[in-house]
Amino acid sequence: MHVQELILLLQSYWAERGCLVGQPYDIEKGAGTMNPLTFFGALGRKPWNVGYVEPSRRPGDGRYGENPFRLYKHLQFQVILKPSPAKVQDSYIESLEALGIDMAKHDLRFEEDNWESPTLGAWGVGWQVVLDGMEISQFTYFQQIAGVDCRPVSTELTYGIERICMFLTGIDNIFDLTWGDICTDQGRFPIKYRQVRHREEYELSAYSFEHADLELHKYLFNAFEKEGWHIVNDLRHYHSAYEQALKMSHTFNVMDARGAVSTTERPGMIKRVRDLACACAKVYLELEEGEVENG
Amino acid sequence: MADIQTLLLELHCEEIPARFLKPLCRDFEMAFLEFAKEQRLGSPTVIGIYSPRKLAWRIQGLSVAQSDISETQVGPPQRMCVDEAGNPTIQGQKFAEKWGVEFSEIKFEQLAGKKEPCAVVEICRPGRPTVEILSTALPMLVSGLHVPKAMRWGTSTYEFVRPIRSILCIFGSEIISFTIDGVESGNTTWGHRLYHREQPDPLIVDSPENYETILEKGEIIASFDKRRQMIYDQLSARAKEISGRLVPDPDLLDTLALIVEWPTILPGAFPDEFLELPKEVLVTSLKEHQKAFCIEKPDGTGLLPCFLTIANRKDDPMGFVVAGNEWVLKARLYDASFFFAEDRRNRLSSLAPKLASLTFHRELGSYAEKTLRISAIATTLAEQLGVNADLAKAVAEVCKADLVTLMVGEFPELQGIMGGYYLGLEGADESISMAVREHYQPLSAETPIPSTDLGAILAISDKLDTLAGCFAIGMIPTGSKDPLALRRAGMGIVRMVWEKGLNISISVLINMGWDAVAGRAKSSAEETKKALLAFFRDRVAYQLELAGIPSTVKNSALAVGWDDLMDLKSRCTALSAFAEDQRFASLSVSAKRISNILKDENPAEKFDAGLLEQAEEKTLNAHLGLITATGDYNSMLIALADLAKPLEDFFNAVMVKCENAELRHARLSLLHCLRMAFIKIADFGLWQ
Repeated sequence: MHVQELILLLQSYWAERGCLVGQPYDIEKGAGTMNPLTFFGALGRKPWNVGYVEPSRRPGDGRYGENPFRLYKHLQFQVILKPSPAKVQDSYIESLEALGIDMAKHDLRFEEDNWESPTLGAWGVGWQVVLDGMEISQFTYFQQIAGVDCRPVSTELTYGIERICMFLTGIDNIFDLTWGDICTDQGRFPIKYRQVRHREEYELSAYSFEHADLELHKYLFNAFEKEGWHIVNDLRHYHSAYEQALKMSHTFNVMDARGAVSTTERPGMIKRVRDLACACAKVYLELEEGEVENG
Repeated sequence: MADIQTLLLELHCEEIPARFLKPLCRDFEMAFLEFAKEQRLGSPTVIGIYSPRKLAWRIQGLSVAQSDISETQVGPPQRMCVDEAGNPTIQGQKFAEKWGVEFSEIKFEQLAGKKEPCAVVEICRPGRPTVEILSTALPMLVSGLHVPKAMRWGTSTYEFVRPIRSILCIFGSEIISFTIDGVESGNTTWGHRLYHREQPDPLIVDSPENYETILEKGEIIASFDKRRQMIYDQLSARAKEISGRLVPDPDLLDTLALIVEWPTILPGAFPDEFLELPKEVLVTSLKEHQKAFCIEKPDGTGLLPCFLTIANRKDDPMGFVVAGNEWVLKARLYDASFFFAEDRRNRLSSLAPKLASLTFHRELGSYAEKTLRISAIATTLAEQLGVNADLAKAVAEVCKADLVTLMVGEFPELQGIMGGYYLGLEGADESISMAVREHYQPLSAETPIPSTDLGAILAISDKLDTLAGCFAIGMIPTGSKDPLALRRAGMGIVRMVWEKGLNISISVLINMGWDAVAGRAKSSAEETKKALLAFFRDRVAYQLELAGIPSTVKNSALAVGWDDLMDLKSRCTALSAFAEDQRFASLSVSAKRISNILKDENPAEKFDAGLLEQAEEKTLNAHLGLITATGDYNSMLIALADLAKPLEDFFNAVMVKCENAELRHARLSLLHCLRMAFIKIADFGLWQ
């Protein structure tokens, strides 16, 4: 199983099940949930089904490409189903079958794991899905996003692409996975994950642990915040303002990875990101409400 | 048709968090019993049956109908219902109509609280059929359950622990129909997901008694106890096969029984190289990450490179489940090895400065500050106890450093233990590594206290700092609120002093604690110490219970002092031998009499024994001499026991408050001296 094959299989499975195939959002983020397709999609009353792959950056998890199991940036495949369907667990299990996992031969458990994102003012309840002892997905029923009750409730499914791929292939080093094959006039060549991403992992780890200019990041954090509030308050533009919140979040993560955020500062900084994200959500909902009223 | 019948209700949900299964089952049991009583449905018994996706109850002995009830309805006064000619008035007829009776059935009675006779009818209300009542009541009972972390799903506003996907409800063989959040009840349920790969139809449950058998066909073991037993048996058998011994963990066993529908224990192995990791790291990693049990060598000398884990299915036909678990565990242990190697790149003491950025408590500062305080207390305490104070200081300075290691970051429960290992591997003296390892002990009332004196000094200093610090900022445990487990810390200190026989008083400890935290205090020294003293008194009383001191002894011994725990201990030990002695019951009566007599008196310490007249009082005085001459509590108690009779005789024969003032004073002084002798050991007035 190649990395790209896994993504393609998930995309086509969920497309057949009535989901849009979304695209990753081109701003750094810590998790697929932060993509506007989820953040705004899960808010409000309109039905919304979408699946997409999202590169997720966790500067603190960077290991210079030396650790076989941890990455600065990993891939999540994210599905949002709103409202949550009655047979959502069955659909999820069938998606695993679509990846070639014969459930008759494996052990599957749904173990309580409640999700929370203080940066987005969001929480939900659900499980980590454990296949033969390995956590392969997060399964969440969103209860609140941006401090607002989710009505209706969405289900969020998050597949860890590299993990599942390692599990399916039995390869115990991420960098030894094959991304896919390329065909040229000279023949067909398998391309390893290492070739695609190793240098990037090394440099991004080095950047966030050693080279990132902390003063610049502090400045950026404040500047993005100011810009965001200006846009959302003065223009009532929720989308471009939300981008500023995403940039704040990533800037914060870079500073945090360097140990430049003290325990006392941390909650305050997270709250500043959340406040902006919540303000964006509020404008989004007000505009949606207006649309509904105007037919 | 029988008068009673069995009800079965099952809520089939998506996977319910393990921690909620039992409490939810219990809550419904209680609510149902109350409901059945209220509704006159007999005296049923409720059996809760729970598995990961099912909350079910079998309710036996439920009446098929409510018992009939007769009610008295009171109407208007007689004069309004009957006219002067004795005929019914319109009002009288309306009253009869209202209750559906003939006018002739109305009686007129003088009722308590009424001025005159009134119309009365007896209405017999036949009980409603249980089926009818249940179909409205069950959905309400379910909605009324207290769900600690409730959720919503889909488009509904209904809240429950997890989405309800099907409902089984039969009374005997009859379906009780209702809906909860759009899900209709019926006589079917679902088995294991694997079972339904082959059998798409739901399972029909024809009678409440067959519930478990039918589910078992559907590859679910319904009963928690049965699953737990199966797991236990399989664990034991598998451990034996590997020629090893299971490292027991009852909590893990419970958890496993709550997360699988059909338990199968599978054996796996990990590479030998990971055995270089400390045992605690392996056990914790296996438990926390994989919910797996470790196996140790039969002679207990170490772990085997094996584990036992669980699968939620009957078998592992292709070996995929074992292979998967082994693969994941390898990744986890790889991480643990990485932490273990990384942590050892620096000496533990070199990590101590990092504690400055680790907050212990907002108002009590960082762990670096806490370290300084522990160090101050440990030094003084060691001096007092005649232990090497330099060593105590050195140990205190490094005891919290492992909090900033990667391993403790990953497994917080390994605090202290990792510090101990790292120090040992650095070549630190064993007394140092052992003290650090042990200083979080005791973790509960039942688990061991530090084995070494240095460990105990460090453990007392750490706990004392936490206690004094919290009390000094007004964080005093009340009722069920004790977030920092201060009671446990206090219990730990008392246990260590008591069990190790440390020669230090509680008030001295409290002073040491206060001196360390004074700089951070918000309350005054007096206030803080007073609160700590009251707190410790309760801990000491609890310690006496733990030590098995009879309650007769406990209160009377505590009442005359508890600051010096060693003295209290020897008094309690001596007194316990006499707990059942009748002579002490008599002494107790006399002690109360003495207290009463001396209540408003101020007798002299000394008196002239020559003044005593009667034989009984002379005998008593002679005994007093014997008591005060004794050296230890045991011989003193023997002497006291012998005093019971003379004292009784004294009170029977002697009139203490006599006319003669000199004699009266001598007698009062005699009693006073006796009381002073008692009080050295116990307040016998409280002996009961």
